[in-house]
Amino acid sequence: MSLPPSSPVAKAIWSGSIPILFTLDDNELCGRGVDMGLMIEAQRCSYLPLLAETVRDHFVRTGQVSGPGEIWFHYKGTPLKWHYAIGLLFDILGLQASNNCAAEGLLPWNVTVNFQNYPGDKLIASCADSNVCKDAFMSMIKEADYLRNGTTKKVMNLSKADQTQLWDGILKHDYNRFWDVNHRLVLNDGAAPRHLPVRIYLPGNSPVIQEPFIPADEQDHPRTLRQILNDALPALFPLEDDATAGHAAGALIHGVKPSLETSALWAAQNMAYADNFLHLVIVIE
Amino acid sequence: MSSSGTPSSESPPASVLAPDAVVTTVSSTSAPAEPTGPPASPSTVIANHKKKDTSKVVVYFRAIGSVPIMKQNIYTITASNKFSTVIQFLRTQINYRPSDPLFLYINSAFSPSPDEIVNNLFKCFNTNGKLIVNYCASPAWG
Repeated sequence: MSLPPSSPVAKAIWSGSIPILFTLDDNELCGRGVDMGLMIEAQRCSYLPLLAETVRDHFVRTGQVSGPGEIWFHYKGTPLKWHYAIGLLFDILGLQASNNCAAEGLLPWNVTVNFQNYPGDKLIASCADSNVCKDAFMSMIKEADYLRNGTTKKVMNLSKADQTQLWDGILKHDYNRFWDVNHRLVLNDGAAPRHLPVRIYLPGNSPVIQEPFIPADEQDHPRTLRQILNDALPALFPLEDDATAGHAAGALIHGVKPSLETSALWAAQNMAYADNFLHLVIVIE
Repeated sequence: MSSSGTPSSESPPASVLAPDAVVTTVSSTSAPAEPTGPPASPSTVIANHKKKDTSKVVVYFRAIGSVPIMKQNIYTITASNKFSTVIQFLRTQINYRPSDPLFLYINSAFSPSPDEIVNNLFKCFNTNGKLIVNYCASPAWG
């Protein structure tokens, strides 16, 4: 069994965090208690449901809410999809929406908490049970595996202990526990993947783009991020860097804009989120 | 989400596509235009991408275990719909209430999130031009 890769990039991504200030929605303040928010240094690769208990406890303890009620979050009125990684939510709703590739002025990220009126039309069914979040995560891992291999055997053949360890690594934010199992998936045990698990997010709440992106060209050279983006969005990402074009589009990964000449396979292996997908958030300059 | 149109009363052979669109949404009048001439501006690209794509894809439902089977199991569905539309449509077809447990999988392999776009699933996972959706009353495949 090979050791987890000690890629400094993968490690830096795992360590990425965002300070979030959670405040209760004005409409839900019940007049008693202290109107006090809660600041949490949230892991980019983690999920809001994993913070839900801490957040609820805070608002109950400070007397701002009575306790029960289905928790959900929004940023400037947009409900936050709980099955998206926290870093991805921030990149889409913070950086992309403000057309600002720097986080200055956006941090701490002001997230509003609600315990009433769960927006079932905008969010998928509630995540009250943390197992629901785990199931959603494992489904993504399997979908990614299917893209790489045309089967989910690699995930299904993980022992129960290994599958648990994967999720446990996220819960405990333990890089070694997570990557000890994850590297077998993202590196595909050394085999060339058929397709890359990639999702692309355009500004303005556009439908997510997911296609079967091919990792290598006919000469077996790794294809670049630019080539992958050109497959899906040729007008935004021309293959020839046309200096005369008045605009340039870029892609954020974990809040940073990598060179588009980066190998897409390398990016998928080293810069994917914990769910094994490389999430590319498009910004227009 | 609304459904319109009705499946034909007799089940077609498995290899024959359902003649009518069964699941549709309110659609725009035209498909996204391909940019022509000078390169499209980013806002044009985004606007085109957001237009409702009215093209349709074929979905093949397969029952697993003790779950009601469908009289007809091949349908076309508007590609820009979310997977939740497929779930709702299936529930209606087999008379399942929202509280009845129902699990859907693609290619007997994984369960997409309800907010995934059918077109993306089709492009990535179709088998010979059909998106195979397995459904069952208890979790299968992990």
